[in-house]
Amino acid sequence: MPDADRILVIDDEPQIRHAVRDALREVASNVDEAANGAAGVSAAVTGQPELVLLDLGLPDMAGVDVCREIRRRSAVPIIVLSARHSEHEKVDLLNAGADDYVTKPFSVLELAARARAQLRRAKSLASAAASATPVAIGGLLVDTVTRKVTRYGRQIHLTPIEWQIFATLLGSAGRTLTHQQIFDAVWDREFGSPQQYLRVHITNLRRKIEIDPASPQIIITEPGVGYRVELPR
Amino acid sequence: MTSRRRALTWLLWLGLMAAATVFMIVAGGESSRGEFTQVHVVLVYLLIVLGGSATGGRALGVTLALAGVLLIDFYFQPPFGEITVGKPLDWVALIAFLVTAIVSTQLLARAQAQTEEAQRRAVEVASLARLGSETLSAGRAEDALAKVADVIRQTLEMNECDIVAWNPEGGFRRGRAREQAAAEPLLQSVVDTGVISWVRFDGEVIRSRTSRPDDPQPPASERITRLLLPLSVQGRVVGVLRLAAEEPVQIGPSKRRFLDAILYYAALAVDRVRLVAEAEHAEALREADRLKDIVLASVSHDLRTPLTTIKALAQSAAMQGNTAAGAIEEQADRLTRLVSDLLDLSRLKGGGFAVVPELNTAEDLIGAAVRQTRGLFGDRQLRTVIDLDSPALVGQFDFSQSLRVLCNLLENAARYSPAGEPIELGARRDGDRLVFTVADRGPGVRAEDAARIFEPFFRATDAAPDTGRAGLGLSIARTLAELQGGTVEHAARPGGGSIFSLERPATEVPAGEVESSE
Repeated sequence: MPDADRILVIDDEPQIRHAVRDALREVASNVDEAANGAAGVSAAVTGQPELVLLDLGLPDMAGVDVCREIRRRSAVPIIVLSARHSEHEKVDLLNAGADDYVTKPFSVLELAARARAQLRRAKSLASAAASATPVAIGGLLVDTVTRKVTRYGRQIHLTPIEWQIFATLLGSAGRTLTHQQIFDAVWDREFGSPQQYLRVHITNLRRKIEIDPASPQIIITEPGVGYRVELPR
Repeated sequence: MTSRRRALTWLLWLGLMAAATVFMIVAGGESSRGEFTQVHVVLVYLLIVLGGSATGGRALGVTLALAGVLLIDFYFQPPFGEITVGKPLDWVALIAFLVTAIVSTQLLARAQAQTEEAQRRAVEVASLARLGSETLSAGRAEDALAKVADVIRQTLEMNECDIVAWNPEGGFRRGRAREQAAAEPLLQSVVDTGVISWVRFDGEVIRSRTSRPDDPQPPASERITRLLLPLSVQGRVVGVLRLAAEEPVQIGPSKRRFLDAILYYAALAVDRVRLVAEAEHAEALREADRLKDIVLASVSHDLRTPLTTIKALAQSAAMQGNTAAGAIEEQADRLTRLVSDLLDLSRLKGGGFAVVPELNTAEDLIGAAVRQTRGLFGDRQLRTVIDLDSPALVGQFDFSQSLRVLCNLLENAARYSPAGEPIELGARRDGDRLVFTVADRGPGVRAEDAARIFEPFFRATDAAPDTGRAGLGLSIARTLAELQGGTVEHAARPGGGSIFSLERPATEVPAGEVESSE
């Protein structure tokens, strides 16, 4: 049973489109294709795909602009395919509205997993955005209403700032949030602690919620870009 | 002033004084001596003293003043015709005359010296200004040097001057100026002599004196025919200035002072010539670099596209049960790594990597390294060694680049150590440093290879021929560490194997900044 009815691949290389279509055979029933940015933007708006895979290095538009253009008109998840680009570019893309990125050459399994994660995230947002039920993740039970985090019934105490960071990442589970996006979401509320200590807070938070803090499974580091909470499968 | 003119001046004023004396004696004789008083005499002599010292200098002024005293006393003070002073008031007149005459002579002499000095300075400043404008306006490098040489030659009144400037990439440029182009050159055109090298490397000034025995050589003003001077900018000798004169030339204090100033300007001119040449060179390099970037980017893109397709299709085929497809994927991965390594290396050498040291924690870096090398280790054991009970280890480092250092070290360890032995990835605080270590139980590094393992494309002498990578991992790791101002070191591990370490500066988190417990 495919996870999506329709997805869109924007790439100027027919071979890559073919490879992506092949990789996502199990994920989507229909794969639309666009060979340039302009066609991609219009297909993303009119075709109503459930997911967009966008290759950078299109002949007519910069990837960041395609992202921004699609995001302006649609909430569809966007995964960027890029030959290894700098972290700076990744940050720009995420800030422009991309949800995730996969580096070329990618593993078929990895791409499918990322695509599924985005589809799941979109669906969970659509169905139960403000669900009051506790979220189960990595052996944790997180109640976003009472702000209680428990593992096997034992409550874990988080400081207010750790809770804010965790809640922010959980709220966008499956998405990488850039350092700036986390700063804006958390420090906007004035905790008095300088932003540069975000990484120290994350480390302390991991020590409380991860089984092995030196090999975190819940809060994932995206080097040079930001952090991401993996969605429960 | 020539000695002939000087003698004429003395003669003129002494004569004038004698004439005035005769005139006043005669005039005084005709009128009553009481009416023609000492006052008139003193004033006339004062005028002569002032005139003499204005045109003949201090010595003439003083001589005239002393002569005046004697003449006043002898002819115009009673008792007349004797060098004796009668009344005390006559003493007053004599002393007043002498003091006034000497003081005004001194003042005049000083004013004149200052005027001369100012004129000399004006000439120097004009020369320096010309030097500056010649340096800046000349088109070719050699022209600039020649013009500077000419200004120096004219100012110091030498027959020939040349400037020899070394090019950083070997060879030299020479700019020369001669008084008469047709005459036999005094300076040899062959520059590459031992003397010049000596001046260049030892920074010595060479003066060649004349050997004529009758030539007076007071220490303050040597008379020379050759002068070789090093030209240095910021302690670096950039060239040599050569001066030559047919007749010995006196380099007095003022010329010497001017020489010091002009040398500095000449050195700047030489340096500017070098900078212009370097700028042209750099422009060419930049263009080449830009082309290289374009080539690298397109190679990167053009290679990745087919690699992406091959990998994706091979993977799909493998999932459908094609056993050969796994090998294709593996080789595609290997090719991908090779391409990235080569691109990285060329970008590293070209300074294309930005390094942003930030406050980071060791645990975060270790966690990311573990995650990123998961695929590499498979079933093998990667053990992390970090103290989770003490406060988090914090340091100042570039996260992404340090991560790549650790990943390269881990990959290296995984490749060379036996599959059954765990690899240890650790972080600890050592004084004011954070030390990251990757320890394996591999064969270690042979003593003769120890110095070379960080060289690009190095392969251990006993390494298996096919280790899957071009021997760039350690080289890239060390370069990335050096970009951050650190390094990667290798040490033998007690009990067998290797320890590679990366050190970064540790940081303290001020108490109260980060609360971790309620």
